[in-house]
Amino acid sequence: MMRLTVICLGVVVAIAGAENPSYKPDDDWQAPAAAVARPNPLANKPQAAQGGRKLFMRNCAECHGEDAMGMGKKHSANLRLAAVQSQSDGSLFWKITNGNVDKGMPPFSGLPEMQRWQIVLYIRTLRPRP
Amino acid sequence: MRALSVTVFTLSLVFAAHGQESPYIVTYDHHLEEPGNLEIETFSTAGIPRSGQQFYFAPYTELEYGVTARWTTELYIEGQSTAGDSTVFTGWRSEHRFRPFAREHAINPVLYLEYESINEASRIQKEIVGHAPEFNEPNSELTQTHARELETKLILSSTVHDWNLAENFIVEKNLSEDEGFEFGYAFGISHPLATLASADECRFCRENFTAGIELYGGLGSTEQFGFRDTAHYAAPVVAWRLSDNATLHFSPAIGLTRQSNPLLLRFGYSYEFRGFGDKLARLFGAKP
Repeated sequence: MMRLTVICLGVVVAIAGAENPSYKPDDDWQAPAAAVARPNPLANKPQAAQGGRKLFMRNCAECHGEDAMGMGKKHSANLRLAAVQSQSDGSLFWKITNGNVDKGMPPFSGLPEMQRWQIVLYIRTLRPRP
Repeated sequence: MRALSVTVFTLSLVFAAHGQESPYIVTYDHHLEEPGNLEIETFSTAGIPRSGQQFYFAPYTELEYGVTARWTTELYIEGQSTAGDSTVFTGWRSEHRFRPFAREHAINPVLYLEYESINEASRIQKEIVGHAPEFNEPNSELTQTHARELETKLILSSTVHDWNLAENFIVEKNLSEDEGFEFGYAFGISHPLATLASADECRFCRENFTAGIELYGGLGSTEQFGFRDTAHYAAPVVAWRLSDNATLHFSPAIGLTRQSNPLLLRFGYSYEFRGFGDKLARLFGAKP
């Protein structure tokens, strides 16, 4: 029982350590106004977010974590934070498309456009965690 | 040497595909390997030659690593087997791709630099440059002629409504012999068969397939520039994502000139190890 408790504590500490609560947005990484204003063409298809989750796990979870809480070592964003969620769909789409290569985030323009919108749709389903 | 050749062959049978997998086999687009990921790829080129020449099979294994979001590096080892002749190790190559611009543009340039230490028996035809080679000499003679070559490419690539358009312009210099500069080109166009991802994991659904066509060939050299005595190929390509990490590639390349092989069958498999750099660092004591 003692051993199980130690293992559980270890897992909790590891997960907490992997998060990036100190994430600060890169002020220089801003989508142009035209991109910010783009609406998500899948906005009325919430079921597409499930496909977005699959794509997120395949392409984004490596750096942002499967729980999308960000990873301190990778300096990756906690996608549940208000600083991310307050951005427009168009802004998130632009950031996924272009990446921020000098800060380590690759561009994902190789994914079909609709799949990038699906990822945006999935990000919108994420809620802040205590 | 024979043991090394056998190793190359064995690896090629075991392995042979990216998060953003390009279907191309010869042409490069502007998508680099994601930082910290290692991709192991094994491709083979099976040549159906002109009459009087022997069938050959040329496998190569490629290790591709994303050093940063702007820089991808690769190492190749290659071999070749000719029917009725022998199986030989044909050399290694080291290549680097750099992305000069941070953002996506209408046309995205990537700079490519490769060093090759190969011999004349090399048949992988990862790029076609200069004049078409003759395939008449035995491997025992061809392996005696070594070539250290420097190759540069200007890669231009665009994404237009989910179509990828890629153009490669190639210049190669044999540092071992005074052959001048050799030129070549590769163009590619591709499109995924479906653009919306389904909710469930599926193996045979259309979103896992990307198809396109490549056109590539040599443009002679500074000694004789142009299409004379050059090989050119038109090659339909298809990539099938088998899983999150693995992709199969297939491309039958049809020779367009008398100097080309009538048919090159190219196929390969690639497997991506995500977060390889971090895992390796932890192995050597780095903190998670």
